[in-house]
Amino acid sequence: MRRRAGLGAIQQQQLETQKYKDKGSLIEDSQFVQMTKHMEIFREKLEEFAVKHKQDIRKNAQFRRQFQEMCAAIGVDPLASGKGFWSVLGMGDFYYELGVQVVEVCLASNPSTGGIMELSELRRKLIAARGQKSIHQEITEDDILIAAKKLKIFGNGFVVYPVGKGKYMVQSIPGELSREESSILGVASNQEQGSVTVDLLMKQLGWTEFRTQQAIDKIVGEGLAWVDCPDSNSAPTYWFPSLFPGRKDT
Amino acid sequence: MADFDWPWEYNFPPFFTLQPNNETRTRQLTVWNNLTRNYYKHRNQSSLDINEDSPLFCNNALKRRLPTEGRLAVMEHLQGTGHAAPLDKRRTNWQVYWHTLDEWAKIIYDWSQRTGQTNSVCTIYEISNGDNSVGEEFHELDQDVVLKALKLLEEQGKCELMLFDDSQGVKFF
Repeated sequence: MRRRAGLGAIQQQQLETQKYKDKGSLIEDSQFVQMTKHMEIFREKLEEFAVKHKQDIRKNAQFRRQFQEMCAAIGVDPLASGKGFWSVLGMGDFYYELGVQVVEVCLASNPSTGGIMELSELRRKLIAARGQKSIHQEITEDDILIAAKKLKIFGNGFVVYPVGKGKYMVQSIPGELSREESSILGVASNQEQGSVTVDLLMKQLGWTEFRTQQAIDKIVGEGLAWVDCPDSNSAPTYWFPSLFPGRKDT
Repeated sequence: MADFDWPWEYNFPPFFTLQPNNETRTRQLTVWNNLTRNYYKHRNQSSLDINEDSPLFCNNALKRRLPTEGRLAVMEHLQGTGHAAPLDKRRTNWQVYWHTLDEWAKIIYDWSQRTGQTNSVCTIYEISNGDNSVGEEFHELDQDVVLKALKLLEEQGKCELMLFDDSQGVKFF
């Protein structure tokens, strides 16, 4: 017959558990201190590194991207802090300047695009606007996305929409695209000429005719697309000037 | 016409459909306005027949033509900015002014002052086709347009029109 646990054994057990716990939290604490120390050192090194390579970060797009990734990994946003150490670096300036240029380019194109533009075209226009020096040329689509994120503080007047296949559309007019509208934009941006018909949209999105027609009418109403109706017998085609190759080449 | 610089919209199919959305249509008509003026300036012409399928209204490569109501909207937009006037009640024949008549009047008057034509009489033909006006924007301009500009100047008291046997003359002050 198994011996029942006595009071002493239970107390002994509890004591052991307590000791384990104490030891555990001791180790945890020391690890935490160690970790914090490591992070502190890493951060210091990163700052040293940033100062040392300030010019490279500003000039070299690939360098800048990797630096951004490193910062994100340890939870430092070199853009967020306007004062203190990071402002010395001038990283914020780089993106604020880019942000202003993004706004300028977009507003200048609004009349002909209806207020949306592909990210790749925006990049080309920015490069053209920034001048010939190679330091100005080295901006990536990632840089523009980071700069555009900063523009969110202006409300919904400036939004970036992913339209699939790594493509983005930048909207620079007040208002918000509904899910229907951005879906249609996604379909159109994958057409060679940037044009769609109700039939095509129904097929690709699996919508009813009513829903499709309503969504496309809304897009036309917002000036994002033009109607092409060469004769009254055939169904109209809807064209996005923002996606039209013939405009982008000019 | 090979060297005429068409705007990108000319190759954008919906450019030839009058847009239902107001804002887009305004934008569309503004482009048509500029295109028509540039096209007529390039050809140095002024008369336009709405029913004529000229390259301006028809892009054959694109298989698109601006329908009549669209053409009328374009012409009325031009009229609104002072760059065209209808010649008949049915509004099919139009005159296109790539400078407004006011602008033409000023250009011609400035020229007359600059070249010392003041107080001497010259014919309208001399203004639009004479040796004195070679290189001026109004050289070889439709004489009817020149006459309309001169009438404006006459109203302002800057010249006097007079009729010779069968040609008209003008005296600048």
